[in-house]
Amino acid sequence: MMLLEHDAKELLGDLGLPVPAGVLLTEGSAVGPFEHPVVVKAQAPVGGRGKAGGIRLARTEAERQAALKAILGMTIKGYRVGAVRLERPVDFVAEAYLSLTIDAASATVRVLMSPSGGIDVEDETARSALRSETARLDPADLMRAVERASANMPQGFRAPLREAGLRLVSAFLEYEATLLEVNPLFICPDGSWVIGDAKLIADDNAFQRSPLVRARIEAQPALYSQAALKIEQDYDFVRLDEFGDVGLVTTGAGLSMQLIDELAARGRRPYNFCDIRTGMFRGNPGRLIQVLRWIAAGPNIKVVLINFFAGLSDLGEIARLLLIALKETPELKAPIVARLIGNNLEEALAIIAADGFPIAVETDLEHAIQLVLQKATP
Amino acid sequence: MTALIDPEAPILVQGITGRAGRSHARNMRAYGSRIVAGVSPREDEVDGTPVFRTTAEAVRNTGARAAVAIVPPLSVLETVKDSAEAGLELVVTLAEGVPVHDAVRARQIAQAAGIRWIGASTPGLAIPGRIKLGFLPSVSLAPGDLGVMAKSGTLSYEVCHRLVRAGLGQSLWVGVGGDAVKGTRFAEVAPIFEADPDTRAMVVIGEIGGDEEEELARMILERGLRKPVYALIAGSAAREGVTMGHAGALIHGDVGTVASKQTALQKAGAQVFSRIADLVSAVAAEAPRPPAFC
Repeated sequence: MMLLEHDAKELLGDLGLPVPAGVLLTEGSAVGPFEHPVVVKAQAPVGGRGKAGGIRLARTEAERQAALKAILGMTIKGYRVGAVRLERPVDFVAEAYLSLTIDAASATVRVLMSPSGGIDVEDETARSALRSETARLDPADLMRAVERASANMPQGFRAPLREAGLRLVSAFLEYEATLLEVNPLFICPDGSWVIGDAKLIADDNAFQRSPLVRARIEAQPALYSQAALKIEQDYDFVRLDEFGDVGLVTTGAGLSMQLIDELAARGRRPYNFCDIRTGMFRGNPGRLIQVLRWIAAGPNIKVVLINFFAGLSDLGEIARLLLIALKETPELKAPIVARLIGNNLEEALAIIAADGFPIAVETDLEHAIQLVLQKATP
Repeated sequence: MTALIDPEAPILVQGITGRAGRSHARNMRAYGSRIVAGVSPREDEVDGTPVFRTTAEAVRNTGARAAVAIVPPLSVLETVKDSAEAGLELVVTLAEGVPVHDAVRARQIAQAAGIRWIGASTPGLAIPGRIKLGFLPSVSLAPGDLGVMAKSGTLSYEVCHRLVRAGLGQSLWVGVGGDAVKGTRFAEVAPIFEADPDTRAMVVIGEIGGDEEEELARMILERGLRKPVYALIAGSAAREGVTMGHAGALIHGDVGTVASKQTALQKAGAQVFSRIADLVSAVAAEAPRPPAFC
């Protein structure tokens, strides 16, 4: 998962890397006293924040208030900005580029370095100055790659990029990153360097071994709702569209994603993504109740689609838990369509029929989708 | 028979004494897999199968050639290493949640040793009616001539279930898994399907994130693969920066989008679908024999 810039910088700062002094300001929290000028930076886990107007320099109190008003709550690439980082501007003479990325195909790490960074890193001239080196995921090999890349940098960039590269190698390994990108890397008038912006994609599966990363996420559960949920509950629920009309209770990441696509292609607005992992229920309806409550909170839910393809799990057991969960969430008024298929289907059908709770059960997914479309368009 | 696994190969199960290990081992044997050994620090026997302390010992005593690992995610790297050192040809790991840095190291080890690693997180592979390594569901398996490779377990269950109902089974089904870094990628499975006389066409079940589909497209063009390719790519509605369940399913900038994957595969001559029903109809329409609907 991609960390917010603020947390990426603080994590790098924790290891002693130079980052500009800054604080996180979440929506609704009090604004403390600040020296001006200050840079107001939208915190969203996507690129192109500057181009979207999410980064502003404020020279006065009034400018800062205006910037906060404009940025907090704005939407960048579908992501609502719930926090900003207020940061001391840096005096720099040049903007360089440095990144380390896992290359999945070759199982190596790519080290990219360029004296020409900033937002123009994607253009032709910047690309021609880009130096690319490959290393095994091993400290010594990574450091050699940094040495090779920096040796090819122009005078004035060589020493700071070498040092920054070596320091980033340690951070990359420490935080088990899959991507660590510093762009821009500011080169200061005295030849020192400071991290201008940082992208850190940390590995959700390595949180147990990266307590500092985990602590950052747990400190801001509202900003990292999905990751915080995964740490706490070990399943996935992502609210995709606040005003979505179809709530999804689904298992399996790929099939859940596909269902969202199939519904969107037919003009529906899926409310959420969900991989509830039926295999981990262990006789407890808790997950189902929680997910149904979240869906019930959607203001525009017209129908709920449940889809369980049970490769191994027992559908009879799932049907029993589902009935308990539905009765525990009377606030959910929308009609329920349940598509069930797989292990012990007959028992599940019999249990639902005997109970009498109003669930439209289908075994064929296309039929279930048709039923959802009918119920969503009165 | 395919180059990936000999259906007669003796198999060992790492982690056989756990709850999941026991039940998977039992199901695999019931399906016809030759389970000859288990590996675990505990017990000497499970359901009549001898259990050894190490993979190397199990291989020495039973001649096992492939392994299925039912071990916790943080033990996968060590298990791949043990499997490589024991001289196995293939190891399939089922654990969800293997750290990426472990997967990178395991892939380096596997490549250096020449062992085929399927995983990190996968429901496994199967030659329907012959052998199952992992837990692909029987309701979706049937002998046939489609080579199936998939990042997602559940989505492949759904697609194959519907293909099977349309009379279209599989020659070999390989779950490569949804991890960002994995043992075997689409581009490494495709040549196996291309060379396999029992495989007529390939079904690729991809999703957002990474560049495996694009790499597959390049490989098809560069090596001139001839067999028809039908692909389904999930995640059109996903947003940048949001992980869609699978650790690998993350769009970053314009890397990993459905559009990028569709375009690349179409240029390589593949038919790319966004709806399951359309893929099933296309495969059925082009099948050599009229399929028996039921």
